[in-house]
Amino acid sequence: MKNRQFIVAGVCFALALLVPVIIQDDYTLQILFRVFLFAALGLAWNLVGGYAGQLSLGHAAYFGVGAYGLALFSKIGINPWISVILGVVLSVISATLIGAVSFRLRGPYFALCTIAFAEVLRLVTKNLPNVTGGDVGTQVPLLFAQASIRSFYISSVVLTVLAFAVTAWIERSKFGYYLMAIREDQDTALSVGINTARYKLWSLLISAAITAIGGALYASLFLFIVPDQVLPMEISTEIAIVAMLGGAGTLFGPIIGSVVLEIAAEIFKNIFKEAHLLIYGALIVVVVLFLPEGIIGSMANKLRLFKKAPAAAFAVPPPVSAEDEGQRAALSE
Amino acid sequence: MGMALIFGVMRIVNFTHGAFLMLGMYATYVLFQTTGLNPYIGFIPAGLILFVIGYITYMALLRPIRGQVDFMVILLTMGLALIIIDSVQLIFGADYHQINIPLLSKNIRIGSQISLNAPWLVSFAIALILAIALYFLVTHTMFGRAARAIAQNPYPAPLMGINVNRVQALSFGIGSAAAGIAGGLLLPVFYLFPEVGNQFELKSFVMVVLGGMGSIQGAAIAGLVLGVIESLTSLYWGNEWALAVDFVIFILVLSLKPNGIFGSQRA
Repeated sequence: MKNRQFIVAGVCFALALLVPVIIQDDYTLQILFRVFLFAALGLAWNLVGGYAGQLSLGHAAYFGVGAYGLALFSKIGINPWISVILGVVLSVISATLIGAVSFRLRGPYFALCTIAFAEVLRLVTKNLPNVTGGDVGTQVPLLFAQASIRSFYISSVVLTVLAFAVTAWIERSKFGYYLMAIREDQDTALSVGINTARYKLWSLLISAAITAIGGALYASLFLFIVPDQVLPMEISTEIAIVAMLGGAGTLFGPIIGSVVLEIAAEIFKNIFKEAHLLIYGALIVVVVLFLPEGIIGSMANKLRLFKKAPAAAFAVPPPVSAEDEGQRAALSE
Repeated sequence: MGMALIFGVMRIVNFTHGAFLMLGMYATYVLFQTTGLNPYIGFIPAGLILFVIGYITYMALLRPIRGQVDFMVILLTMGLALIIIDSVQLIFGADYHQINIPLLSKNIRIGSQISLNAPWLVSFAIALILAIALYFLVTHTMFGRAARAIAQNPYPAPLMGINVNRVQALSFGIGSAAAGIAGGLLLPVFYLFPEVGNQFELKSFVMVVLGGMGSIQGAAIAGLVLGVIESLTSLYWGNEWALAVDFVIFILVLSLKPNGIFGSQRA
């Protein structure tokens, strides 16, 4: 069963790599680049938000550090690819700092704290024109010899495969089970001897590294970045929504979420013009109200319902399960 | 202040607050343009409108997802804020507006050094009165007691005969009304555009946490403290650093003194 899933995934990724052979249109490729970029970012977020249950809303910080890392390190004469790596290192360092402070908090405070860090970073970047170019922006070197969208598209697919492989490995490892235990009940996890602080931090570091590579790719495509483009809260929420839409804590969720959300967003932009944000907001509300477990989670629930005896379908579900309430109470402490 | 009620007392992380504030500003603005109603009276209908909107929002959208992880509430309110802001932008356009009333140009001088702008002073006075009223509402009425009981522990509250949904919806409505009133009071002294609320929204989160969760007077004092710190930051480092300093304070308070400066241990 599991192996069949991986074969399907492998075939899909191979097909994705072949897409540029068929589609030559720059516009379509750019949308597909976004799809895979956000799939990778969603997968990265999923490690922290989905498996460990630490719902971060500050991933723009790592995204932006990756983007600015590439821009600033190559500005002082370092090879672009080495700059990407330095950007990743920088992002991991900042994730260590952010994690050290924010992981001590729970529930909404954690989310608010991650927002605050990302916002501080954005404002500092804006206000240091000597270093970062401030609001005027800064140039980003091209990562590929040919300035074609095709290389960017392929690298975004590769990044997604990387993120997917890391997630698949973590999901099956002891580390992954530790994270899921932390998500279900942090205090119990702690009491059975899991070093929650350490594993939460590890998941964040891996997540930040992947996110930073994504940020560097994104920046290099545009050749020019400003703080409000790579560090805003919108990036953080989009990453989180991609994962939540597909299904947080599942292997395929973020990929499906990204395909649905990015393509839908693009279609909305073309159909509704100025009203696309309105439709986008409505989409979020609908997801939260009707698909709280994401597309994958809801589908799995439906399947389970079919497999069980029909009596289950008639049973009135309790409005709020005790378990949920307990979790909420624990989170809001 | 409304944020203190919704976030502090109800524990709902409300990202629509800024959008509600903006709606209050637009409501007052429209009233001023169509009927010439002075914004210092116009804020009352604006507050009433926002109360209704807040009440409906809670009943229709937030009640169904009660008991889920807070993150869902954050996402939902963010989505709702997008809807509201974009709708306003479609209706009124993204232009900046400002109103002109005679009071605007009046200044009050205290001594030879200090000069106060009259509209700021009036807005501040009304806000102070409302804050005191809200404080008494939360601490000295049955309703306030019920709201705080739910915040402390939602399970026994219905056993004590509290209609949880009604109290929560009312609190949310009152909180939203406070945002609307704040918007109405800001109109004479601030320019108006669809995304105006965002800058106040994050600030109000900082204020509530700084003042201590569930403490109305704490949030009020924190608001003043924050205002002074912001002005000093603007004076010495420049205006653009003020918001960054806010967030740094926020992070420091969360990590060093999570109960806030005036927060009670029980909360």
